[in-house]
Amino acid sequence: MTQERTADRPRVDAYEKVLGRALYAADQPIAGLLHAMTVPATIAKGRIEAIDMTAAQNVRGVVRIFTHEDFSQIKTTPAARGAYGQPGKGHQPMTSPVVRHRGEPVALVVAETLEAAIEGAEAVKVRYASEPFSARMEDDLASPEAEPDRQLSSGDAEAAFATADHRVDVEYLHPQQHHNPIELISTTAAFEDGELRIYEGTQAASAFAGGLAGMMGMDPTRLRGVSPYTGGGFGQKNGIQEQSVLVASAAVLLRRPVKLVMSRSQLFHTASYRPRSRHRVRLGADEQGRLLAGLYETVQQNGRYDGFACDHGANPPRMYGYGAWRGSDRIVRVDTQTPGHQRAPHEHPSSYATECAMDELAEAVGMDPVELRLANDAQSDPITGKPFSSRHLADCLRRGAELFGWSRRMREPGALVADNGDLIGLGVACGSYKASMTAAVTTLRLFASGRCDIATSGHEMGQGIRSVIAAELIEILGVDPTKLDVRIGDTGHAPQHITAGSWGTGSAAPAARGAALKLRDELSLLTGAPLSEEPVHVQLARTRRPSLEVTVNTIPLGKDAQVIEQLRRGIPSTTGPEYPDFMAFSWIAHFAEVHVETSTGRVRVKRVVSVADCGRVMNRRTAESQVRGGVVWGIGAALREAGETDPRFGGVLNNDLAEYVVPVNADIGAIDVDFIDQPDFKLNMSGVKGLGEVAMVGAAAAVVNAVYNATGRRVRHLPIRIEDLL
Amino acid sequence: MSDTHDRQPLEVTRRQVLEAGTIVSVSGLLPVAAQAQAPSPQPAPENGATVQVSFHVNGQPSALEIDARASLLDMLRERLGMVGAKKGCDHGQCGACTVHIDGRRVASCLTLAAKVDGRDVTTIEGIGRADALHPMQQAFIDHDALQCGYCTPGQIMAAIACVKEGHASTPEEIREYMSGNICRCGAYVGIVAAIEQAAPLIERS
Repeated sequence: MTQERTADRPRVDAYEKVLGRALYAADQPIAGLLHAMTVPATIAKGRIEAIDMTAAQNVRGVVRIFTHEDFSQIKTTPAARGAYGQPGKGHQPMTSPVVRHRGEPVALVVAETLEAAIEGAEAVKVRYASEPFSARMEDDLASPEAEPDRQLSSGDAEAAFATADHRVDVEYLHPQQHHNPIELISTTAAFEDGELRIYEGTQAASAFAGGLAGMMGMDPTRLRGVSPYTGGGFGQKNGIQEQSVLVASAAVLLRRPVKLVMSRSQLFHTASYRPRSRHRVRLGADEQGRLLAGLYETVQQNGRYDGFACDHGANPPRMYGYGAWRGSDRIVRVDTQTPGHQRAPHEHPSSYATECAMDELAEAVGMDPVELRLANDAQSDPITGKPFSSRHLADCLRRGAELFGWSRRMREPGALVADNGDLIGLGVACGSYKASMTAAVTTLRLFASGRCDIATSGHEMGQGIRSVIAAELIEILGVDPTKLDVRIGDTGHAPQHITAGSWGTGSAAPAARGAALKLRDELSLLTGAPLSEEPVHVQLARTRRPSLEVTVNTIPLGKDAQVIEQLRRGIPSTTGPEYPDFMAFSWIAHFAEVHVETSTGRVRVKRVVSVADCGRVMNRRTAESQVRGGVVWGIGAALREAGETDPRFGGVLNNDLAEYVVPVNADIGAIDVDFIDQPDFKLNMSGVKGLGEVAMVGAAAAVVNAVYNATGRRVRHLPIRIEDLL
Repeated sequence: MSDTHDRQPLEVTRRQVLEAGTIVSVSGLLPVAAQAQAPSPQPAPENGATVQVSFHVNGQPSALEIDARASLLDMLRERLGMVGAKKGCDHGQCGACTVHIDGRRVASCLTLAAKVDGRDVTTIEGIGRADALHPMQQAFIDHDALQCGYCTPGQIMAAIACVKEGHASTPEEIREYMSGNICRCGAYVGIVAAIEQAAPLIERS
């Protein structure tokens, strides 16, 4: 039971995963399962005039074809896709003849086999009355919102900028990106034990189940949301999908279980994505490189009806000690599907723009980019004036520079050349991500046999949340991880808050720790003495009790007991980054080495070094993996990924994994990861902040800055492709 | 919109479900025994033109009549209940469905079920047991060569084949020959390390 701050253990569910036994939503063995397939809209905007189902109904095996006429009772509530909790927002397809974006489902074909469902869906003929639309924010019919979505300011930034010794004024364009978790989003609705059970790889089982019940007009207690394992989420699975309520309703209408596995091409149109955005950055500094002013204006492309925020301006002013700051974020509305949260939703694009601008400022001032950042380190937030709960960004920079060999860098672009003639570039960039927490209701049971199970809030999607929960139980109780059952992602076990926004560990670790401490206290009361070094279950057995159970409500800092009721109802309720006495963020510094082939312009990322301050590291092995994953995403953003919207038809042209290019194994070189590993006990009793999102923030900028250092080219859009460097 | 089906708006069906005792709040008052869903034919009938296939999967003989359009992946997952191989794209672009046919790696989503007649199919379920992992499975655990685990069965099947093909002699070669398997969580560094560890323990074919 000793403190193991940076434990390096196998992830607890690795066994299941390498054996192929981890059952994802579409893997559930359900007797008599029907298969569904959607018919996607082929217009971007308009109305359905008629649906001819004759041919489809004649397909052998087709059981039923549903259209909007069957689903007109479904309510579009704040839980619907695109609403983001706001009344009047969102759009649930197939509840009316209205089509609001290309690719939305207009019919649902249910059949005895998948092959029949596909054939049936292809045979459905839809006649539309289409209307003029705009698919891109540059188009004529795009609608800029009158008021900024968010503004932050401190001091007179315009005046400070006007008189600064060194100034940069640059604009960066960030493309549309798509999450593309490898697990296709599937929905399976089945009747089990007197309830409607919906299996979907969601990141928010309670909000999902409660939201679906609301949309269907049902008692939420009769609907159970099960997300056993999520095959990658990255934010795409944090809400109800366009298909979810359709499949659930089809199962109810047919009184049979129904499964829909949405095709990859349709997911590019029905599921969320990171919207296109433009970023104008103006930075002013004095002769010594001290930041006098930052002016940051962003424009983001949203759907016509969604409630998704534009929040690019939230983090950049917190990065450095700006003398003055002014930021504003604006939305332009177009007729496409609704965007949403994709890993580091705004922090990644804003770090791309502002950290590249910092590189340009370093050039203008004539300073080393690491030195420029160290010279502007801050211990309090320039906007609120509050101190940071913990900030070891300068240590991240210094340690990273040493591990990386930053001293090799030449200020002159193209000065470092590899033996084969490739130009070598070295780049640096930093990132931050808010440290948030949520509530949990945790039930922990220890059995005299040594078995232990814990039911709490959380969804496993690759970040290793089961390992985090296990780490606290091992540390406090010394339980055997092979005899531990971590029950998460299922509203039948415990209320499930949405797992996103890097609050998973900061919420689950204190919840597990709190339950473990309470169980230890109760066992000690039973034994009548402080616990010995013997295994806890042996001490429990001696009390002649078969088991001991505790339930603990975890209320995060800055919230009250009301948050538990919200949790039970599936209403998201998070804290941070602003707390009563401080601001809390995780921090990271990335260093990238790129090699650019001069004849072809091909960029290879040979090595990345990333050093993170995420508070206490719960499991060294899974934490390193998470950072490497974030870096891979940064490399993908810098050099590969862009969703190409077709302005003529409103769809995503490159809607598969052959044309939407994500990093493959051959794209990735060495990624070395280190941690500051200083617990932040101001935030929670486990001392953890968050890691999954900050891991990506700044990674793309480090690569872009390295490309500049290699080539002398400032490419101000992503991704950087061969044609940009020829 | 002509419709020969018996259309039931959702409201009606809620009543119908109430009768079955499933959903609406008052259904809690009904006995659990009344809460069964409608009976379904078992197994599901094959609908299109069918073909007979006989093959071995993980050493066990198997024979069935299947829709001629069905992929090997959909036969494994939807007919045989072997869900280790995963569907990530259904277009042969991601590798999550990788299995071996006669020892060679294939994308099972691009392989017609009919093509495995007379062949030996090996899936993730057939390479190791919980108490005796395949060296590649152990190496994936040791190097944390996975995160969400969804692409992992395909990665492991591809990795074993990569070694057997003789394409695991350097990290660069491993990266190249493992690039048909996308890991969106980004576990590539661990995957290369795992293959380097397991390669000497696996016989070349």
